[in-house]
Amino acid sequence: MIVKQRAYEAKEALLMPALYAAQREHGWMSPEAMKSVARALDLPPATVKGFATFYDMFRKKPVGKHVIQLCTNVTCILSGSEDLLSMLSDKFGIAPNETTTDGRFSLVAMECIGACGTAPAMIVNTDFYENLTKESIFSILENYK
Amino acid sequence: MITITINGKKIKLNKPVTILEAARKSGIHIPTLCDHPMLEPFGGCRLCLVEIEKMPKLQASCTQQVTDGMVVWTETEKVVEARRAMLEFLLVNHPLDCPYCDKAGECDLQDNTMKYGPAIGRFKEGKRKHPECYDDPIIVTNMERCILCSRCIRMCSDVQGADAITITNRGNKSYVEPFSGGRFDCEYCGNCITVCPVGSLMSRLHKHTYRPWYIEKEVETICSFCGVGCSFVAQIRGDSIVRVETRPDLGLNKGLLCVKGRFGFDYTVSSARLKSPLIERNGGLKQTTWAEALSHAAGKLKEVKEKYGPAAIGAIASGLCTNEDNYALQRLMRSVIGANNIDSTTGFFYGPAQRFFEDIFGQGATLNPMQGITNSDGVFVIGADPSAVTPVLGLQVRAASRKGIPVVTVGHMSGLKRFATCSLNPDAFSEPALLNMLISGLMKKRPVCGENIFFEDIIKKFMLSTSDNISDACGLGKSDIDKAVDELNLMTNPAILIGRQVVQRSDASVLLLQLSVLIYLLNGRIYLISELPNDQGLVDMGCQPDTLPGGRPVFSDSMRKRYEDSYGAEIPSAQGMRLMEMIQAAHEGKLKALYVMGENLLLNLPDTGYVKEALLKLELLVVQDTLMNETAELAHVVLPACSWPEAEGSYTNFEGRMQHVKKAVHGEAMEGWKIISEIAKIIGVDWDFLTVVDILAELTKVSPVHKGITYSEMDSGNCLWPYNGEPLRDIAKDFVLPDTKLIKREKCSGRSYLSADQQLFHSGTIGRNSSALNLLMPASYARIGSALNEKLSVKTGDTASISSGVKSAELDVIIDPDIKGMMVFVPNTAADKGALSFMKWSMNKDFKNPALDGNEIEISKLRSKAEEVAA
Repeated sequence: MIVKQRAYEAKEALLMPALYAAQREHGWMSPEAMKSVARALDLPPATVKGFATFYDMFRKKPVGKHVIQLCTNVTCILSGSEDLLSMLSDKFGIAPNETTTDGRFSLVAMECIGACGTAPAMIVNTDFYENLTKESIFSILENYK
Repeated sequence: MITITINGKKIKLNKPVTILEAARKSGIHIPTLCDHPMLEPFGGCRLCLVEIEKMPKLQASCTQQVTDGMVVWTETEKVVEARRAMLEFLLVNHPLDCPYCDKAGECDLQDNTMKYGPAIGRFKEGKRKHPECYDDPIIVTNMERCILCSRCIRMCSDVQGADAITITNRGNKSYVEPFSGGRFDCEYCGNCITVCPVGSLMSRLHKHTYRPWYIEKEVETICSFCGVGCSFVAQIRGDSIVRVETRPDLGLNKGLLCVKGRFGFDYTVSSARLKSPLIERNGGLKQTTWAEALSHAAGKLKEVKEKYGPAAIGAIASGLCTNEDNYALQRLMRSVIGANNIDSTTGFFYGPAQRFFEDIFGQGATLNPMQGITNSDGVFVIGADPSAVTPVLGLQVRAASRKGIPVVTVGHMSGLKRFATCSLNPDAFSEPALLNMLISGLMKKRPVCGENIFFEDIIKKFMLSTSDNISDACGLGKSDIDKAVDELNLMTNPAILIGRQVVQRSDASVLLLQLSVLIYLLNGRIYLISELPNDQGLVDMGCQPDTLPGGRPVFSDSMRKRYEDSYGAEIPSAQGMRLMEMIQAAHEGKLKALYVMGENLLLNLPDTGYVKEALLKLELLVVQDTLMNETAELAHVVLPACSWPEAEGSYTNFEGRMQHVKKAVHGEAMEGWKIISEIAKIIGVDWDFLTVVDILAELTKVSPVHKGITYSEMDSGNCLWPYNGEPLRDIAKDFVLPDTKLIKREKCSGRSYLSADQQLFHSGTIGRNSSALNLLMPASYARIGSALNEKLSVKTGDTASISSGVKSAELDVIIDPDIKGMMVFVPNTAADKGALSFMKWSMNKDFKNPALDGNEIEISKLRSKAEEVAA
């Protein structure tokens, strides 16, 4: 675990970083992942589940190797992110919240990611991309094998 | 003094409370959904909104504190409008399947909607859909009806401390779920069902079997499962208990119950219920008439008495039976038979432990009110996990821990694991060495106070004789001990909870003396973890071979005379036989007749093979019980007694509180005390007991402790030790220091020991006849730790063979990483595979109870679960 426990007063405060760490390792919030977090922090598994299912950042089902999170909030839509989303869907043959059969990509339609000034924008895994165009988006994704 | 006005009514308050509380106290009703008297204020449902003068907006009365001069209106047009709006929102997703819902008729949402609610919802979109979940054997969840008040979640985490359920997901998709999503796998206290205001969490046991308005009768009574003595309301329809309900202000449990109390009551209608008397004929038990059964039992008792003398007859009382039954049995033994041979399994732990402490601290030293635990400044638990054997007592420890009170536990206690500030888990049977280190550590920090010179002399002698201290004798590090000593040193009036395992061992007197020293040093109050509903009552009724009712010693001529005069018969002055002595005497052929009341000897005594041999040698075995069991199968006469809800009586709980057990339903059998007095009558002594009132009247006359007690006093809930009576106040000065040399035990290098597992779901004797409790724990098992599993390499669910010197059997394995060392825990719930049936025992010379420590056991893997499935 990256964070030392003594930095936090209550064990619950460690839950978010611990869940991120578990998700990095397991890929999604599987029951085993939640149980291992509960065991590591000595918290009831149900409490962990309540946390993990509340937040969208924790995946409720297995995802592909790379997660494309394309913003579809107001500014991005006005700048054409809807078209980008349907292009991605067509190209990979998946609807939002689905994973390609080869397990390479998962597609997620995001709410605002705070890049309205440089819309449309997306996050792939943890990398941020802005001012997307129909051309640039595919060349960016080429880098994710 | 704070004065507020609610709806024009002036209310004076001594301390600031919430508006809701003030209104409730003065009889003004404010509707609520998320608020519950057993829970902390939450402010979620907004139904309790009230108008406060000079405040621009409506306020939630459940969280708003009163201030002096506040003027509150609870039913103005503005308030009613707001409530209607809130209910309209709540009903957006609520399915309104009231005709089909079990809660209809007692549903807070239904009642409030009827009063305020909109008749028509304006929401056009569809309601959320989520199928009713039947994955759990006991609890049905219907999340379409859930209004997310979170009462259940707060009950589960803030009160019960089980943290088994949570709200998953978010917004419209929020559901209350256990971790698995289906099966709860929790403590099944059912308190979440109690607090659910709608029909979202329901008991599966009586789903769709009745409507709340079908309840014909409600009887306030006392639970029959453990020594806490929780109160509840038994709801009756057609002469059977439909369900039990609690009230937040009722009894000492204040609305809380455990799995046994809430769901286990159906043992009284199980198929094993005895309904007519049985008599042994041609090698089998045959139905007979009461007249024949009683006259046979009485005639044979008389015959044995004349032939072999009264000392050849023994009786076993039971902590499951009422005070009245136990009193009648001891009277039969002492005044009609003329022997003091009366004992019970309470004599294995509760009786001797209480006697030991009373010798040092005075009579009644172990009888302390339960709320003292949360009001103390420390808790020390040893010998049993109260959250498993007496769950509502365990809740007190958890509540204390939540208040920030230090909790020190000794031994493997899974139920208190998250609540102990310091849990010491010593090696098997090394508790004396651990306590030694704790005491000597504590004495360095806290010298004796000089209050009881006599006992301090004993402490000095005791410390001298054990000074050859052994380091690492208990497998714990110095830092663990130091931490525990520091925690103990913080305590000035701690609650000391003591359970069975400290007494059922060969060095019990050393442990008890050590605990006494600890109690003396810490100024602690003793709580004995009583596992049966009437352990204390049985002791008070004189069902011990050496005491008369009221705890008077039988060998004292002056005290005995009082009882002899009242009974009109001579009582022998010699102490009678203890339970295991009776079994030994029966095995040797010295004891010829045994009267067993409400006890299954072939489940609750160790080495059942030996016990069975002993019972088969008896000339007369009379079993008076409510349920057919292994002991009754061997009997010559079986007398069916009324079960717990079928007869009046009283139980005395572990705090010495006498509580009234009321007759709730009609039974076909005869009251226990009546059977005994009929037998006495046939033998030739007429007691004139017509009802339990007569028995209580006699008891209050003869027992100096129980002076003037009545059932109506018990109903008030304040019939607490020492009642109006005269306890013996003197402390024994002839206290003999037990042999304090620590038993040298070989380090358990690779040896496994058997211990009885403390089961939350049932304890065997009665609970195994409850279909509900059997759903939760269908079969026996062997629970082992990781250290032992390194050798065995099994998985949970695999089958292992275990064998001791006296018995071997196959059991499914459960791996529990918290178990230390090589211990094997087997519950004592099934007669054929109970922990005690595997155990050899030796007689503890101080207490004459069976010592069960050091029972080695061999365990080996038999087959894995996968193989079993394939086969």
